[in-house]
Amino acid sequence: MIEIKNVTKKYGDKKAVDNVSFKVNDGDIFAFIGHNGAGKTTLIKAMVGIHDFDEGDILIDGMSIKDNPVECKRLMAYVPDNPETYEHMKAIDYINFICDMYDVDTGTREKNIKKYAKLFEMEDKLNDTIDSYSHGMKQKIVLISALAHNPKYLIMDEPFVGLDPKAVFDMKEILNEMVKDKKVVFYSTHILDVAEKLCSRVAIIKEGKLIKSGSMKEIKGDKSLEKVFMELEETK
Amino acid sequence: MRKLYSLIRACMTSDMNLFKIKQKNATGIKKLFLPLFLSLAFMFAIWSNAHLIFEQLAPMHLQYVVLSLFVFGTSIMTIVEGVYKSGSLLFNCKDDQLLLSLPIKRSTVVFVRIFKFYVFELLFNSLFMIPLILAYLRWAESINWTFFLTSFVMILLLPIIPIVISCIIGAIISSLSSRFKFKNFVQTVIAIILLLAVLYISFFMDTFYEYVVKHATSINDMLTKIYYPAGAYANLVTNFNAKDLLIFILINIGLFVLMVLILSKFYFRINSRIKSVTTSKKTKITDLKIKSSSVTKSLIKKELNMFFKIPVFIINAGFGLVIFLAGCIYLAIKYDSMTSFYIDFLPEQVLNNPALLILLLMFFASFMTSITNSLISLEGRNINILKSLPIKTKTVLMSKIYACLVITTPMILLGDIILFIRFKVSFISIILLVLLSVLIPLVSHFVGLIINLKFPNLTAENPTEVVKQSPSSLISVLLGMLLLLLNIMLIIKVLININLTLILVIVTLMYIVIDLILYLYLNNKSVKDFNKLSV
Repeated sequence: MIEIKNVTKKYGDKKAVDNVSFKVNDGDIFAFIGHNGAGKTTLIKAMVGIHDFDEGDILIDGMSIKDNPVECKRLMAYVPDNPETYEHMKAIDYINFICDMYDVDTGTREKNIKKYAKLFEMEDKLNDTIDSYSHGMKQKIVLISALAHNPKYLIMDEPFVGLDPKAVFDMKEILNEMVKDKKVVFYSTHILDVAEKLCSRVAIIKEGKLIKSGSMKEIKGDKSLEKVFMELEETK
Repeated sequence: MRKLYSLIRACMTSDMNLFKIKQKNATGIKKLFLPLFLSLAFMFAIWSNAHLIFEQLAPMHLQYVVLSLFVFGTSIMTIVEGVYKSGSLLFNCKDDQLLLSLPIKRSTVVFVRIFKFYVFELLFNSLFMIPLILAYLRWAESINWTFFLTSFVMILLLPIIPIVISCIIGAIISSLSSRFKFKNFVQTVIAIILLLAVLYISFFMDTFYEYVVKHATSINDMLTKIYYPAGAYANLVTNFNAKDLLIFILINIGLFVLMVLILSKFYFRINSRIKSVTTSKKTKITDLKIKSSSVTKSLIKKELNMFFKIPVFIINAGFGLVIFLAGCIYLAIKYDSMTSFYIDFLPEQVLNNPALLILLLMFFASFMTSITNSLISLEGRNINILKSLPIKTKTVLMSKIYACLVITTPMILLGDIILFIRFKVSFISIILLVLLSVLIPLVSHFVGLIINLKFPNLTAENPTEVVKQSPSSLISVLLGMLLLLLNIMLIIKVLININLTLILVIVTLMYIVIDLILYLYLNNKSVKDFNKLSV
């Protein structure tokens, strides 16, 4: 379980995330939505240990990311909004590098790399340097390296941007598979219809504050998620 | 014009953070203090050297020769420095696509690129020219307002001809290397050949000062003939003429404009060729190397991969090492016929003691090789990858240090071996020198990384900005020079009269203590600096 407890993150005097609290249970696909600059990326970066935060705590499997960063990160995989990789490296070397950092044994990584490379149609391209890839291909490499170490928590920031339709479809299948194994998928998105179909729970953030959080059914009722989101955005 | 101004401002803003205190707080001022102090220390050293030459030439009323010499020397250094910078400062910039998509002329884009280059070379030149002008004020027989006018114009225009030359050489190197599959490798090889050529020529400069004093007038005539600005400055200072000044200004501006126009013709062809990428043949997944390594080994491999993929980084980092190796070979071959030039600078005890010469060369190799000062900045946005991984910050930082040792230690040991074979060095000295081959560079690596964590630049346009123009690299280079000087002074002024083994033992113990202090600092304060980094 991921527990966000009264987290506040300031940039100077401005509160990018303001006293946000919610829980993500095992087996959830959790959508985190909000307008541009609402604080989604800031909170995600705090969850995965990239950013420090000023108040509150984030618990991963009951461990504080502040006190046990390495142990918490070992359970997670992070997929950033912009596919950040070591562009000079060959894709296979990059994936091996990430696996090394997570102490993935050779057998497991071989099985997972083959599985996900085949799924994302990257099998015959892994020997190229990443700088020769398109945005979508880079995103696929980040996803393969994130999935290769069997993370319990998959934290993603806008994961579907730049992916081709087949990759989006396959990705949704992978996420559904993960939750069957009681794993957790937490991701931010602007594609509300995908979130509505895919996610069991949702949180909406506006100007750093959490304005709504709960199961997808509770939040949207009979309306569409898009409609609910627009209504919440309009209210001050 | 407003468009051009906005464009220049946008392109320069990210580079000029060194000179900008965003908030009027103590941290901003503190951050500015160190680069400023080191720049002033460097300028003071140049000023002192200028005094030494003026002192020799003033009795013969040949002060103007020093002006020609400095203009010539500074220009040569700017050309060499500029050749390495131009490749990546002009071509393959991050904002290429943005600028090319804007409704502006291509020549304007080229102008902005060269202008940015000009501003950095102007700052570089000022480090030499301002101390020269100040020293001249002390030694000149008469000074009037025309001297200040000429000097001001000279400072502003001096970088132009060197950047035109380095742009041409840089464009040729980039153009040649862009035709090959392994562009970076070809670029590195060409640049190293150039560096070795400069070194080879500089080995013949050992009687330089003596020669200058003896042949001052003819040198001035020669410099005037081969390099127009050198003579023009001396002439305008000694015999001011408004027409000559105007001609000088027009020639420089004309050359600059011509350069922009010519480069605009080829710029985009070269740039698109550089940007083109080659992909390997389709590989079966069964043929891929899927193997595991330890965390540290994998991090070191990542660092080495980055190092060998960035030509300007290799050249910059390898500078001290290449000179060290060349110096070792030179010493091994020419030791018996070393000229009076070295005797003037080094005490007899050092010259008669190869172990001390090796130690001095080691100081040079270590403090002129600062690899770590760019390692954090070169991560750029990828710093987030490292920060999200389940590894301790200490492991990340130490792996950067180990990677640098992997690069420097074999080179220094190779130089040591050449000299150990050539000279009779006692067993205990060999042991201590081998130990110092690791301990001394380690200090340089620690210092570079600590500085880079204090002055990171994670949003640079290209690697050259990080390696050549960042506050971190400037501070490291100047601090390296200062440390080199302090170490040389320690040997030749303080420890010189004691037993050789004792000198080596003292230096070894001293470096063990310094390394330990820096290790503790890196693993405490610098870890916090790393954790604060944010893009």
